[in-house]
Amino acid sequence: MLNAKIPAGPLNTKWEDYKGHCKLVNPANKRNLEIIVIGTGLAGASAAASLGELGYKVKAFCFQDSPRRAHSIAAQGGINAAKNYQNDGDSVYRLFYDTVKGGDYRAREANVHRLAEVSGNIIDQCVAQGVPFAREYGGLLSNRSFGGTQVQRTFYAAGQTGQQLLLGAYSALERQVALGNVTMYSRHEMLDIVKIDGKARGIIARNLITGQLERHFGHAVLICSGGYGNVFFLSTNAMGSNVTAAWKATQNGAYFANPCFTQIHPTCIPVSGDHQSKLTLMSESLRNDGRIWVPKKKDDNRKASDIPEEERDYYLERRYPAFGNLVPRDVASRAAKERCDAGYGVGTSKQAVYLDFAAAIERYGSIEANKRQMHGVSKEEIIKLGKEVVAEKYGNLFDMYAKITGENPYETPMRIYPAVHYTMGGLWVDYELQTTVPGLYSLGEANFSDHGANRLGASALMQGLADGYFVLPYTIGNYLADEIRVKAIPTDHPAFAEAESKVRDRIAKLMSIKGTKSVDFFHKKLGKIMWDKCGMARNEQGLKEAIEEIKALRAEFYKDVRIPGDENEFNPELEKAGRVADFLELGELMCIDALNRRESCGGHFREESQTEEGEAKRDDENFSYVAAWEYKGPSDYVLHKEELVFEEVKPTQRSYK
Amino acid sequence: MEHYNMNLTLKVWRQKNKNDQGRFETLQAKNISSEMSFLEMFDVVNEELINEGKEPIAFDHDCREGICGMCSMHINGRAHGPWDGTTTCQLHMRAFKDGDTITVEPWRAGAFPVLKDLTVDRSAFDRIIEAGGYVSVNTGNAQDANNIPVEKHKADLAFAAAACIGCGACVAACKNSSAMLFVSAKVSQLALLPQGQPEKRTRALNMVAQMDKEGFGSCTNTGACEAECPKEISLTNIARLNREFINAGFTTEK
Amino acid sequence: MKWSQFFNTSIGKKLLVGATGFFLCSFVLVHLAGNLQLLYKDGGKAFNTYAQFMGHNSLIQFLAWGLKIVIVLHAFVALQLTISNRAARPVKYQVNPGNQTSSWFSRQMAIMGSILLIFIVVHLAQLWAPFHYSDMPTQSYEGVSEPIKDLYSVTYALFQNPLWVVLYVVGMAALSFHLIHGFKSAFQTFGLNHSKYNGLINFIGLWLFGIAIPVAFAAIPVVIYLNK
Repeated sequence: MLNAKIPAGPLNTKWEDYKGHCKLVNPANKRNLEIIVIGTGLAGASAAASLGELGYKVKAFCFQDSPRRAHSIAAQGGINAAKNYQNDGDSVYRLFYDTVKGGDYRAREANVHRLAEVSGNIIDQCVAQGVPFAREYGGLLSNRSFGGTQVQRTFYAAGQTGQQLLLGAYSALERQVALGNVTMYSRHEMLDIVKIDGKARGIIARNLITGQLERHFGHAVLICSGGYGNVFFLSTNAMGSNVTAAWKATQNGAYFANPCFTQIHPTCIPVSGDHQSKLTLMSESLRNDGRIWVPKKKDDNRKASDIPEEERDYYLERRYPAFGNLVPRDVASRAAKERCDAGYGVGTSKQAVYLDFAAAIERYGSIEANKRQMHGVSKEEIIKLGKEVVAEKYGNLFDMYAKITGENPYETPMRIYPAVHYTMGGLWVDYELQTTVPGLYSLGEANFSDHGANRLGASALMQGLADGYFVLPYTIGNYLADEIRVKAIPTDHPAFAEAESKVRDRIAKLMSIKGTKSVDFFHKKLGKIMWDKCGMARNEQGLKEAIEEIKALRAEFYKDVRIPGDENEFNPELEKAGRVADFLELGELMCIDALNRRESCGGHFREESQTEEGEAKRDDENFSYVAAWEYKGPSDYVLHKEELVFEEVKPTQRSYK
Repeated sequence: MEHYNMNLTLKVWRQKNKNDQGRFETLQAKNISSEMSFLEMFDVVNEELINEGKEPIAFDHDCREGICGMCSMHINGRAHGPWDGTTTCQLHMRAFKDGDTITVEPWRAGAFPVLKDLTVDRSAFDRIIEAGGYVSVNTGNAQDANNIPVEKHKADLAFAAAACIGCGACVAACKNSSAMLFVSAKVSQLALLPQGQPEKRTRALNMVAQMDKEGFGSCTNTGACEAECPKEISLTNIARLNREFINAGFTTEK
Repeated sequence: MKWSQFFNTSIGKKLLVGATGFFLCSFVLVHLAGNLQLLYKDGGKAFNTYAQFMGHNSLIQFLAWGLKIVIVLHAFVALQLTISNRAARPVKYQVNPGNQTSSWFSRQMAIMGSILLIFIVVHLAQLWAPFHYSDMPTQSYEGVSEPIKDLYSVTYALFQNPLWVVLYVVGMAALSFHLIHGFKSAFQTFGLNHSKYNGLINFIGLWLFGIAIPVAFAAIPVVIYLNK
């Protein structure tokens, strides 16, 4: 059994107690302690900035051309916080409860409670940085609803909340760069961890422009490299999002937890053809106002506008009257898949459902007409006013939809379908966010900690910033306080040389294959296996097949991949090859984990384990644990369990009816 | 929307590295669907090049949903191509028709040196932000968020300025390679908000000084930046930057 | 930031160009008011007494020298900016957007400014220098105590040559194009951009400074030539 080092005491005082008793590092010593941060998304940038402010010597790495590009930037809808500004009954406890329940009781209570506790501070911090959140006319902050909750606790900046939060963290980071506390390494990719005497002591990074390998020492290393949704090839992740940093940590002894917990987001723009390179999310916030439906008749080929109201099936409202269109993502996704599989899908591919704003436009139009004291206005006038209101709320999303599909969503309902969006699994970390390798930490989406088997909307931004601003800066001191006597280790230490030559060999191996097929060829094949057999629904036979198929694909990859160009130059194909090689190992582990977890929970749906109504059926007796996998070699993993103890929340069958 | 396929001729800038002279290469893009994004068209061309044993075209891209600011191509004379308010990754092939010739160049500016093919170095933007594009507030220093009411109109204007994705299209589009729209977006965002007031003068002075140091040209108010900005950042921000800069220059004591 | 640093920044330099530009706009207005007297059919009395006054009033003379300094400063700083702006893009584009993203006028400021500068030099050499530094026929008018220089007749003589008429018209076309962008651009440089006033600024920039004033200036040689 793994020990998560959760402090003793009542749940709501654990974090206070921890902070009051953890070890501290004095300012003079902080100057001599070096910390490496991999990734500059919300978690990485906020951690690097905060650690720099505290006086540590920080080195931050990102593969993009600027830290501001990390994929947190694409988060649309918002960030949750238990501020209760709306006076609608929100509290730290309720945010904690919603998150544990939303995660289908597979998250660690103590972590989630801490997350809820610091959520308010995040909003304060971001506002102080100048993040332009949406406001009401009185000048105070505005909130909206998100899935899986019945209060309005989501703070937002139009449909670009992630961008604004990341730019806030980025500006804090750049300020520390200017002050000399943080050194920024853009266009660098971490390719291995250096361990000395069992502790993480540095990394090997490749300068992506020159191809040179570099050695960097750190007293601690933070993996903040995001999720691994790109294992599916098609996902809402950025093209460069990858698992490599986390996978190198895994190969160096950090356990990988719950890899099969993948979030399939219900509202994405459907695939339009084989050329598709990525999928685009339509924010969950759209489900505040949009209504989801399919025709009641099978294979109905009429245009949406020709289908009368009584022949439409608003299946979410029908099945889940209490939460309606705002059920959690896993539930909404499966419901869409169920309808499409049953033959009620729409569009040319029949793999889509409608997200309709007609009712919302009319409703907002009437409200607006009332507000402006306009009486006896025509329906056209009301619709015009309503469109203006909807444009103000969701304009950028509607524009994006129009650009991608060539259709006008103000006139015809959007077509949407679920797509891979987020990965709840990740590096196993204890309460202090430390992995099983001392000195190696993981923050944000890269770790597994707070979302259980399903993440609620607007909680990823919250977790990334909580980890980086308010959790790790405390917990890392507890480790580094014992490291103050360790002088910076020169990078000619044999451990660095060994790690570098390992990386060099790996690159040489990839370059020497000189096969016939592009990296993308393999990536797409892997994606298809994963989507078909380890996607929205999984079963034993499919998973077993997937494992064999992935093994075969991996062997083929190492025989037949073609990487043009040279290793000592800017070579995007080589970068991709390294990442896909890691995905080819991770994909297998995901299937192994999914096979092992013979229950349905959250985003993990085992067809063998469902209720009569087709809802996910958990098996708390046998699977109320975190599955943390130790890497022994390709295809060789050992399972370690962390038992989940629920003191506050009693696991029940999740119901959104 | 009617789907169609097309064959295109591409004239693409190829340059091995910073020190290479560079040249245009003519390529054929066959069977391109009108449903593809511009970058997916490049994926198809690259796949073809790899299959032929040639080096694919290097170009920057990441999120492919118009928000990370990484993609950057000068397409037929237009930064991010012919559609207004659109990044290259969101430009779709519907914008072109069968038989078209498309010339694709990297951002051209001394401050944005070409690294390879269509990839340029935009780190100058990071250094400008380092010069003052922030509010100096350490983690933990903040008061309750609702203690700072902000007039909605100003908050909206600040957001509109903050929507800048730092892609550099403004520089690429400007005949002077001026970075004024980029700098003004950040200065405006913080000048409009109460949180930005304590540092507003040093911010304007230092960011402009850094912008000049990086070798960007000056603004001659042609408006090309605004016309090409994928996030439609307004020229009023440049006016605001000018006001902030004048005010700071005339009133700071040092 | 010291003044020397301030006016060495790109915005500082642009402020100089804008401020001098505004001064030149005001000059253009005054100059036109005076010159329109050339079209009075009064044998040049009004114009010549005006010229006599302008040429001998010490405040005006002080301003006139200031004006030349301003022109030089305007041109010099603008040239400096133009050179650095060109240098900011060492490798040019093969395909340019043309008028798709910016107005033609806004891109021709340096060219139009240069034509104007040439025009101004010629103009000064033809009319200002002789008036001040050489003998010129004089003319007596009723109510004027002594004979005054007859710049009026000299001007009329000059514009009998169609070549000069064309040159002046071209010069005024350059002025027009320069001011269509320059006037409103200077407001933007000073940070004066406000939705309530932009309409007025653009209107004045286009119709008064961009069209009315240059056309009125250009009309003078044309009318004189056609009335010979």
